[in-house]
Amino acid sequence: MSQPYQANPLSENFPLPRELRKLGRKELKITWQDGHLSVYGFRYLRTQCQCAFCVEEITGRKLLVDSCLPEVLEGMGVSVVGQYALRIDFSDGHNSGIYAYKHLRKACPCELCRPAK
Amino acid sequence: MIEVKTEQVLDALRKVQDPDLQRDIVSLGFVHDVRICEGNVAFEIKLTTPACPVKEKLEMEARELVLKIPGVEQVSIKMTAEVRSHQTLEKENLKKVRNIVAVGSGKGGVGKSTVTANLAVSLAMDGAKVGLLDADIYGPSIPTLMGMQGETTVRENLIQPKFAHGIKFMSMGFFAQGDQPLIWRGPMAHRAVEQSLVDVDWGELDYLLIDLPPGTGDVHLTLVQTVGLTGGVMVSTPQDVGLMISMKTLRMFEQTNVRILGLIENMSYHLCSHCNGREEIFGHGGAKLASERLGIPFLGEIPLETAIREKSDLGAPIVISLPNSPVAKTYRDIARKMAAQVSIAGYSGSKLEVIEEPV
Repeated sequence: MSQPYQANPLSENFPLPRELRKLGRKELKITWQDGHLSVYGFRYLRTQCQCAFCVEEITGRKLLVDSCLPEVLEGMGVSVVGQYALRIDFSDGHNSGIYAYKHLRKACPCELCRPAK
Repeated sequence: MIEVKTEQVLDALRKVQDPDLQRDIVSLGFVHDVRICEGNVAFEIKLTTPACPVKEKLEMEARELVLKIPGVEQVSIKMTAEVRSHQTLEKENLKKVRNIVAVGSGKGGVGKSTVTANLAVSLAMDGAKVGLLDADIYGPSIPTLMGMQGETTVRENLIQPKFAHGIKFMSMGFFAQGDQPLIWRGPMAHRAVEQSLVDVDWGELDYLLIDLPPGTGDVHLTLVQTVGLTGGVMVSTPQDVGLMISMKTLRMFEQTNVRILGLIENMSYHLCSHCNGREEIFGHGGAKLASERLGIPFLGEIPLETAIREKSDLGAPIVISLPNSPVAKTYRDIARKMAAQVSIAGYSGSKLEVIEEPV
């Protein structure tokens, strides 16, 4: 019964993962229901954090300065949040970001997705 | 004497379709324990909810089809139910809670709590194990509706839910004394909701219904982040400004990937207690139209009736205090339709977990 989870008729284009794999502390691999594959380095994911410390809530302006992050940044743990997002524990102690699947898909660093930006 | 084979019985039963899951009852794994002794055939049909809206229909079809097999003289069917778990919830105390359903509304005053309480009791009357969490921090009304106020007790570090009319329940109202309001900022509301999910001795439940506060806010956010909901049900009145307000709550469910199990229209019409004339005070059918437009199941409409309010104020939901009234039947019917949608969600939902791969 690996039918894609058609959760909600309102959300036709909601990108949802089919499989989530954490490769050691280096990378997160998401296979999406449409077959697309995304591989994220944890340091890159840390720069994508949408929490209120990293992104100004009202304006959406990014507060986090990527170059201030430690050179080596690993993913200690990844957990599923409800039915729509992930939470990541980073080696710098940060874990307040909620990574919605929608955002993760938009932030896919692969070559197919990149030029679309 | 013609010998009847198990395979023949199963073949016959393959013709019985579950209308909601759109598959036959054999491939769905509902048929158990087929026993044949000469012309007598006995088996069990295990449904996914005791509140199945088509229980009688399935039983009748199964009986007729098996009776047609040459050599069969008598058929005895045992109808049982086993509610399947929607997902494994990581939280220890919720492990035995199979399905969590949130009941929301776009705005206050649509009778959401009354509807939720009656649905919960309806499911219990059909034999399900039911819990009800009143997460409405602004106007917790479940204690009044269930006829039980007062504080909760704690045993072995777990809050003991109260028990009335066949269901376990817990309310944000238990955190406050009498007419004291719960003036909470987000983090407090978050903690309280989390605690009433995780630190309550819910035990084994088929359904845990959550009465949400109106609209979209901290409580909703906590809920969708703390547990994997089986789905959400929306209650609205016919006008609700063309359901514009309800749409916001529906969108919230969408954005957090919560399945919408259906829409209920409350205060749909009023039957005059003097002349029995029907008056459509807030208009009628708005929710049905909206559900058709949005492709969401429509679960039913509940009239505006003095008896519902009276029984609610007395602390005895109408489904149990006036079980033969037309409105009680309406509630029971809606509860069964909702249970059917929960079963469908259980079949189509896949749960995600993070696979750790050492490198």
